[in-house]
Amino acid sequence: MSHDEATAMSRASPAIASATGRRRGLRFASRVLVAVLGGYAFAWGVVAAGTALMYAAGMGFHDAEFLSSLLGVLALLVALLWAFAVRREWLAWVVLPGGGTVLAGVASLVQALLA
Amino acid sequence: MFQGFRQAMAWVHTWFGLVLGFVLMAAFFFGALSVFDREIDRWAIPATRFEPQPMPSFDAVLRPAFERIQPTPEAIEAMRPRVDGPMPAQYDTVGTWSAYTTHRDPVLQLFAGFVVPNARHAGDLLWADATIDPRDGRPLPDDRLKVGSGFFFPLHYGLTLDWRNLGIWIVGLSALVMLAALATGVVMHRHLFREFFTFRPDRARLRSVLDLHNLTGVVALPFHFFFALTGLLIFAATYYFPVGHTQLHELHDLNARLEAGRTGLPHERAGVAAGLADVDAMVADARRRWAEDGKAGDVGFLVLQHVGDANGYVSVYRAGTDRIALVGDGIHYRAATGELIREDPAPTPVERMAQFLTGLHLQHFRHWLLRWLYVLGGLAGAVCIATGFVFFVEKRKRQHARQGRQGARVVDALAVAAVTGMVLAALGILVANRLLPEDLPARATWERCAFWGTWMAALLHAAWRSAPVAQGLPNPAWREQATAIAVLAVSAAVLNWITTGDHLLRTLGAGNWPVAGVDLALLATAAIAAAGAWRLRRRARAVATPRHAVGPEPRHA
Repeated sequence: MSHDEATAMSRASPAIASATGRRRGLRFASRVLVAVLGGYAFAWGVVAAGTALMYAAGMGFHDAEFLSSLLGVLALLVALLWAFAVRREWLAWVVLPGGGTVLAGVASLVQALLA
Repeated sequence: MFQGFRQAMAWVHTWFGLVLGFVLMAAFFFGALSVFDREIDRWAIPATRFEPQPMPSFDAVLRPAFERIQPTPEAIEAMRPRVDGPMPAQYDTVGTWSAYTTHRDPVLQLFAGFVVPNARHAGDLLWADATIDPRDGRPLPDDRLKVGSGFFFPLHYGLTLDWRNLGIWIVGLSALVMLAALATGVVMHRHLFREFFTFRPDRARLRSVLDLHNLTGVVALPFHFFFALTGLLIFAATYYFPVGHTQLHELHDLNARLEAGRTGLPHERAGVAAGLADVDAMVADARRRWAEDGKAGDVGFLVLQHVGDANGYVSVYRAGTDRIALVGDGIHYRAATGELIREDPAPTPVERMAQFLTGLHLQHFRHWLLRWLYVLGGLAGAVCIATGFVFFVEKRKRQHARQGRQGARVVDALAVAAVTGMVLAALGILVANRLLPEDLPARATWERCAFWGTWMAALLHAAWRSAPVAQGLPNPAWREQATAIAVLAVSAAVLNWITTGDHLLRTLGAGNWPVAGVDLALLATAAIAAAGAWRLRRRARAVATPRHAVGPEPRHA
């Protein structure tokens, strides 16, 4: 690296640092987003599918609803932590909203069959 | 992004905990105060300082009081958008009358729901309520702010931010973060365990703060976990995961139809007028049935459904003072004849679990020691979060001072407002409650303003005094607000004496524990705050003295 190049680099470095800082901030923001919103979508699926399936299996509606809510809250907790623990973030973006949608679909299907 | 699992969990703990910790402080602190919400109500509304009363006679007390209830003009206005066409001129079809009391309530709350013929959703009632003295049925003024059950209690689960239930969602997210903070805290603690054996004399302060954070977090871990969890569960089906009202409402309605057939409790009015049999006799019969099953027999909730209609029925629910589980043990009678329709069957295993978990949080039991343990648990949660803030600041403030950054200073000022400022706000509303004229219009609004105004003043004061933190020194606002707490807490107790004549010797002598308890808690708060302020002042002087002792010369020392 020549002297000129080094000077140019050092002059540009605050801009580079702030750009990396911004990119870092965005990456944290997208993790938080997938953890909270993706986690919520997944938990909704757990509550809906749990309620519908347990009701179909003969449990009372409000019993099924309560038990599924309990499972849903715990699922949300695990999903939130997993979204931060998983190394590849795209996996969280696929599994959480995707899983939530599939589970919610199961719930609607069961409802269509029963009601 | 993260170097490993531990680091990811530590990031979640630190940053989620920091951002939502301020909300959690309010949930834990005002939750702890809500354990004694009825007692705080008595302190704040002197006209209601008498013994708790059982559910009074229907014929002698309740019926005349129910018949007096009419909806307020505000409630009629609020209902208008949910009705097709004009609102009716008068409300004489009663959908439901109910009365609710607990073993700690001297006053009785009555509710009435009126049928509005052209409401968009059938069964959408226009609600009205009243508060009476159950000894004689005398109506009590309803515009007095119930500082405990009407302000601190809703504050702890919804921040009194009612717009689109925003507060309930914020507190719900915070409760989830509490669960996450406990889980990640345990992960971090294993890592920190080794560091406990590392001697760090220069960081003695930091270590003691961390010790207190871990102690209050770990000792009360089951308490924190179950309160965050059960708090979420109480609202889950209504607010957080309302699948029964949204995605699965067809399934919910199917179940409701089947249920009405099974229980024999009519879901709708018959449209045929009918009289009302002796309700007091039904209540007596319900109490006899509970007694036969060996259950405490106080009536907690009395409901008349479809009043004046052939489908009308009366439900008598038990106040579950003898167990943690929140039970109803409802017994239902045909209103027109008084014949028994049904007794609620023994709960299913899931119902038993639901009753236990919600009862654990809502505490309808009669057990004063357990109540005080709840207060201690709630305060331990508040201390755990407060020490978390202090640790965050202490760990960073010297580094931030060297780098000329303001982060630690801002967090410290917010922490002052969230810790001492919150106590000041709670004292502010109590002092205002005793100082404002009794007949001031919109008195409750002024009391709320005193609360938020005091809190805002505490935040501004903390920000104004925060400059030393940017140099790595403590914020003097901590000790100044601790002193203010001591002064305000004593003032509140003295003002109670001056305005009502109920000083401690009298209330203790008469065994008036609700009022005496609040006064004693105020004095204890003052003592703790004064001791804290004194220690902080001594420490500040110890830091300042050596510099003065050696004079201006060896500045580099």
